[in-house]
Amino acid sequence: MSINSNNSNNSNNNNIKNQDPGLYFLELARASSSTGVEEEEEEAPTELNTINSSGGFLVVSPDKLSVKYTSVNLHGHDVGVVQANKPAPVKRLVYYFEIYVKDAGAKGQIGIGFTNETFKMRRQPGWEANSCGYHGDDGLLYHGAGKGEAFGPTFTSNDTVGGGINYASEEFFFTKNGAVVGAVHKDIKGPLFPTIAVHSQNEEVLVNFGQKKFAFDVKEYEAQERMKQQMTIEKISLPPNASYGLVRSYLLHYGYEDTLNSFELAGKSTVPPIFIAQENGFDEQDIVYALNQRKTLRQLIRNGEIDAAFDKLRNWHPWIVQDDKSSTCFLLHCQKFIELVRVGALEEAVKYGRMELAKFFGLAGFEYLVQDCVALLAYEKPQESSVGYLLEDSQREIVADTVNAMILSTNPNVKDLHCCLHSYLERLLRQLIACCLERRSMNGDQGEAFHLHRVLNSGTHATGC
Amino acid sequence: MSLFWIVIRQLAEIEAMATSKKVITREEWEKKLNDVKIRKEDMNKLVMNFLVTEGYVEAAEKFRMESGTEPDIDLATITDRMAVKKAVQCGNVEDAIEKVNDLNPEILDTNPQLFFHLQQQRLIELIRNGKVEEALEFAQEELAPRGEENQTFLEELERTVALLAFEDVSNCPVGDLLDISQRLKTASEVNAAILTSQSHEKDPKLPSLLKMLIWAQNQLDEKAAYPRINNLSTAALEDPAV
Repeated sequence: MSINSNNSNNSNNNNIKNQDPGLYFLELARASSSTGVEEEEEEAPTELNTINSSGGFLVVSPDKLSVKYTSVNLHGHDVGVVQANKPAPVKRLVYYFEIYVKDAGAKGQIGIGFTNETFKMRRQPGWEANSCGYHGDDGLLYHGAGKGEAFGPTFTSNDTVGGGINYASEEFFFTKNGAVVGAVHKDIKGPLFPTIAVHSQNEEVLVNFGQKKFAFDVKEYEAQERMKQQMTIEKISLPPNASYGLVRSYLLHYGYEDTLNSFELAGKSTVPPIFIAQENGFDEQDIVYALNQRKTLRQLIRNGEIDAAFDKLRNWHPWIVQDDKSSTCFLLHCQKFIELVRVGALEEAVKYGRMELAKFFGLAGFEYLVQDCVALLAYEKPQESSVGYLLEDSQREIVADTVNAMILSTNPNVKDLHCCLHSYLERLLRQLIACCLERRSMNGDQGEAFHLHRVLNSGTHATGC
Repeated sequence: MSLFWIVIRQLAEIEAMATSKKVITREEWEKKLNDVKIRKEDMNKLVMNFLVTEGYVEAAEKFRMESGTEPDIDLATITDRMAVKKAVQCGNVEDAIEKVNDLNPEILDTNPQLFFHLQQQRLIELIRNGKVEEALEFAQEELAPRGEENQTFLEELERTVALLAFEDVSNCPVGDLLDISQRLKTASEVNAAILTSQSHEKDPKLPSLLKMLIWAQNQLDEKAAYPRINNLSTAALEDPAV
């Protein structure tokens, strides 16, 4: 690639001579066509599972939302247990369901909880390993053993009882008549099914998977959980002017020189004036590098003046445009083509395409973008077509960012390719997202995913991680 | 590698294994970082949100032109907001109150605490300028009635009036009220109230995200050893402790 062919002129760039920053943007240019895949909705429980239940001891109603214990219980292995038809969804902050005890029957031995797929369907939730349950007759909490521990009040006829999973705190929690009874650490991995059990004659329980309004205010509970996390985060202190410094280096990195000048001028007149610690001095010199040239080129590209951008580059940094088959030249040529289509100069576009783009057909890495560009010609209203993304502002921005990175890479002091590609701000955001993803994947992908895009486009502060 | 370092490294590995912490090498971590996709528009939005919320109106204007990012608030309102903030910072509280009311009279009407703090700041400025009589009159007429309605206000008022009891205020226990930080505190309170009245968040998103980064790293520390970023201003990855 271009840097390779030029390492004689740029012998200082030993570290990056084998990497072309342009390639990175080539991928971005294509990626911008897809607006990012939203996480698909997970299926949630809707009814009771009549196939895998301890038939014989209980009867599930035709709507599959209530159970009744019809026989007389004799021992601990004739519990009437029934699971939900789906496991509790995990990619959220909280999962919750409720039961209403219509009739506590002979002994009120009703249980509510969560069990895994292999649960023995003749036992109370909580009695066996990998299960957890809150029992009505003694108010005890059982998790994984036949012996329960003190937890909450007993519950009986006319009580509404809820079971939930808080994925942020990794806890099970239970409620009675709309109030939280307590919570217990969730140490069971894998999918968990909402489970109810009845164990004495005439016990009858209705279950609500959210079809009806819950007695417990789940939304409020979630809001409070978010608030708790938010408070913990807000208490963390930052070094003074950390945000200011990052914005400044961002403007420097991308060559937003006019903004930078206004920003610095304003920073000096605030009360008190903002000082950026001296320790940044060295790095800074590197991003001040060719600032004005980078600004000018960005402006030209953003205005669609690609020929002028080429001219400037030939003057200032000839090696960047020396190899006409480099990804940088390619992106510039594509953009020129796009600009011609934008102004409706289709004939000229065709001519330009034959001259400058045709050679990229069939070249791995370049192919898709060329095809998309040429496809613009096929539509009467290209901006409404599937390749309309090419006509958006963001496409110009990517080309401008490519040229910006290429110029940064000519700096003899530049240490590695990352310095040219990513601003400090971007590196921090990447680290944030990687940390959130990693932690979540270690938790079996449970809990809310962190979406930077969503955080930035919502009125609320950052939540979920 | 010297034997010393080999031993140290082995010990660290054993420790990591004992606490069953997953170790993520720099190479593995960098791969994960590279897989993260961040949209340029989102970063631009984050920067614009900072400029707008912190009141860098000219920079916001320039940034809109240079990056094509649309601000999430009418830029004209920033100028007004910053004028109020500046007035408080410079001690022209009366002027600030007038400006807030010009902007939206509801802000002070619905915010008794903010109004009290502005009046308190006004009293502080009178005392600072040695206008003792005027200060006393102001305290009795404007602030005392509010103190009767609210215990916290009353305590604050008493603290402020105490400034008059000292000849050398620089050495008195309530001297902090005369500090520049008191002005800044009041100024940022007004700033936040104006933003809220414009249905805009009162704080920029960037500092929250930075705090979140620190928090997320701490959370992950419990489960894994991985390259951290400890210095926000250089964003340099530091190798895991193993």
